[in-house]
Amino acid sequence: MTEPGGGAHTLFDLKEMELNFGPQHPSTHGVLRLKLKVDGERIVDCYPIIGYLHRGTEKLFELNPYFQNVPHTDRMDYVAAATNNLAYVGAVEKLFGIQVPPRASYIRTILCELQRISSHLLWLATHAIDIGAMTPFFYCFREREIILDLFEEYCGARLTLNCMRPGGQPFDLTVGWEQRCRDFVADFPSKIAEYEGLLTDNRIWKKRTVGIGVLDPDVALDYGITGPLLRGSGVDWDLRKVHPYEAYGDVEFDVPLGRNGDTYDRYIIRMEEMRQSCRILDQCLDKLPGGKIMAHKPRVMKGPKVGEAYYAIEAPKGEIGFYIVSDGKPGPYRCRVRPPSFMNLQIVPEMAKNHLLADLVAIIGTTDIVLGEVDR
Amino acid sequence: MAIKRFLDKIMLLDLFSGLGITAKYLFKKKVTVQYPEERREPSHRFRGMFRLDEERCIKCTLCARDCPIDIIYIDWHQEVNPTTEKKEKVLDRFDIDVQRCMFCGLCEEACPTEPKSIWLTSKTYELATYDRWENLYVDMDELQDWKIRPDYTDKEIV
Amino acid sequence: MGPLQSVVDFVGPELYYWALSPAIKIAVLLFAGILPLITYLVLAERKILGFIQVRVGPNRVGPWGLLQPIADVMKLLVKEDVIPNRAIRWAFILAPCLVVGPALVIFAVIPVGPPSAEPGGLDLFVTDVNVGLLFVVAMATIAVYGLILGGWSSNSKFSLLGGLRSAAQMISYEVPQGLAIVAALLLAGSMSMVDIVEAQKNSGLWFVFPQIVGFFIYFVAGVAESNRNPFDLPEAESELVAGYHTEYSGMRFALFFLGEYANMIVISAVAVTLFFGGWYRPFPNVEALAFLDLSFLPAGLAGVIWFSLKVFVFLFTYIWFRGTFPRYRFDQLMDLGWKWMIPLSLLNIFFTALIKLLL
Repeated sequence: MTEPGGGAHTLFDLKEMELNFGPQHPSTHGVLRLKLKVDGERIVDCYPIIGYLHRGTEKLFELNPYFQNVPHTDRMDYVAAATNNLAYVGAVEKLFGIQVPPRASYIRTILCELQRISSHLLWLATHAIDIGAMTPFFYCFREREIILDLFEEYCGARLTLNCMRPGGQPFDLTVGWEQRCRDFVADFPSKIAEYEGLLTDNRIWKKRTVGIGVLDPDVALDYGITGPLLRGSGVDWDLRKVHPYEAYGDVEFDVPLGRNGDTYDRYIIRMEEMRQSCRILDQCLDKLPGGKIMAHKPRVMKGPKVGEAYYAIEAPKGEIGFYIVSDGKPGPYRCRVRPPSFMNLQIVPEMAKNHLLADLVAIIGTTDIVLGEVDR
Repeated sequence: MAIKRFLDKIMLLDLFSGLGITAKYLFKKKVTVQYPEERREPSHRFRGMFRLDEERCIKCTLCARDCPIDIIYIDWHQEVNPTTEKKEKVLDRFDIDVQRCMFCGLCEEACPTEPKSIWLTSKTYELATYDRWENLYVDMDELQDWKIRPDYTDKEIV
Repeated sequence: MGPLQSVVDFVGPELYYWALSPAIKIAVLLFAGILPLITYLVLAERKILGFIQVRVGPNRVGPWGLLQPIADVMKLLVKEDVIPNRAIRWAFILAPCLVVGPALVIFAVIPVGPPSAEPGGLDLFVTDVNVGLLFVVAMATIAVYGLILGGWSSNSKFSLLGGLRSAAQMISYEVPQGLAIVAALLLAGSMSMVDIVEAQKNSGLWFVFPQIVGFFIYFVAGVAESNRNPFDLPEAESELVAGYHTEYSGMRFALFFLGEYANMIVISAVAVTLFFGGWYRPFPNVEALAFLDLSFLPAGLAGVIWFSLKVFVFLFTYIWFRGTFPRYRFDQLMDLGWKWMIPLSLLNIFFTALIKLLL
């Protein structure tokens, strides 16, 4: 027999209820667990618990030679593998002082921008479905599919690309790849207009995002927030502009900035970033130089006896950096990752406080976390 | 301007524009690939199931050494070829534990022979099986003679 | 000596009147009408959503997936029915019945077709109560008990939140819905559903034209009342997993589901009856459109067809909404209900009454 009333009595006796949000919850974007203290639906306190996807990637880096670690970086931020690859190989190249041939630089830039679009598309899809709009999800995935096809044709994989090597690129672009990419870039802005038609002016979407999760620029800087979150608060910090890497110095693009730092601003910024990515892709494809794709490098790469390098790039989610310490062995002595999602996740409790449960979902969506990267 | 905005708001124009977009798609061509009947042809570089050519292989074990997760197991011994009377390396074992493979393709890249003696571009991506050890731990013979997975029949699904 | 009399003679008066009794009508309506309609409505929803979202929807069971509802129902019937250990058993079992029962009962007063021309014939409704509208509103209210009971008895926090949300939402949206109905009622001067339809024919005008605001309020409140997007917060899966039916499985879950879809049909049917002239063709008094009467069909069937067509348009709109809009937040929904809909519907009643008085 069940006891009369069961545990329900305690539910009503408490003024504040503790609610376990995740790790198996449709909108925690993976395995994030949030311990919430709620008063009715108002969130009094929020405490993220992470580690459900911990695979010891940083330790794995120490066990392998430098070039073997690239596939492991794919699995950190698994929706933006190319930028992870680039940050890692960039750090290795910095450590060894390797100069990448210009063609490889351009190919890397193209791959990273495609990856930015695909990552933002996935973000938009899940963000929209979290807020209840179901259809943008499918439209976004349709376009993302085209990008994944491009990746597949270039490197043979769709998600975990493993498409860069220390010293350059493993493959050259296939015949016709450029044209396919151009077609996509030409067509894509009209698709963005479609997503915006469904969401941007929609009064329900505005009600759900304007003024939600307002992030003060000072607070954002204190927490080390990067990426669209930081730019949404109006701080002009984009590593592509501040420290241009690869081919970003040669191309023109704008960095969109927000004013209010709310969820709506961050949405607008990411949409604009996709447009700017198209612009960058267009210029890169025009300027794509010929020549080698791999720099000269020793077959067995041994790091300097004492050396360290930190290399950071602007991933779709923010600044991703690899810090590598070398002790002269073929593999890193220590490799530390600075993942954007991990830093950005810390702001969630700050933003969620005094919002409603429904807003929490929007806030998790707007921080655009990937738990593979948070837990590593 | 304010009046126009007010009128737009009253007439729910923002909502109707969204409805228009979805209505437009109601009759558009669908993008679904009806999987068991239609299959996407993977690109030429697609990294799928392994293949091995024993004749080309020089038993250098570079692929095993370059594998980031060490799933390639190679044993070989030397023996004298009776016809040519030269010492040759002979493979005893060439196993790949595909269960753990992440299809990064580093083994193929490491292979020094031309053309490659181990390659992943077999365009085989239907690797789902009912038994992991039976079907996803492949030895030398299976690697050389990996049948493309047979077409699904209704019987197989049930 | 019409054809009716010959039918009565043929089967004998006893059998004939037995066959016309409300109990048989209800059974036929339920098992031949509403339940298949609901299961196929689910299929239609999945198909239409699929088409909107550039995919094809279910197409594996039968041609175009036409047998999918049967497969779904079979699955739900044979599925294990889990009752959580610390759930409150009686309430847990009672809740889905409370949702689905009233929703089905409402169909009793909805005229899907005209009353028979001669007395004793087949009326195409179960019963014509003179307080039909009141009955509809009253029955629709009961469902909220089911939802809140289901949410509470599951003894799960997500269910509880879902139950509370749905209770608040349904109670606050019943008010504008009721007020919108009152305006239509003022125009018709009767609470009987059949009379309301006849009144629209007599005035030669669907009530949606004089009552555009009332219809708008009624429909929006109806969407909210049936917990559909964009007001589907009680079961918002991205926030509350599945709201009040998180812990339900198998046929009990299916009953909630059934209730939701039955509610959709009820609200569409009432909207058609109140604002869109029920079983009559568009512009019933314009002679030029007489071919729309479909007079070659047996009496009454044309009415059923017109009625169904109008209902389908509403059902499509429901699905279309679901494919397009994001979801409101809980407090914004309350805002919309209390700060906009209710004052607006009160104003609507005021002006309707004023005009009625002056004319």
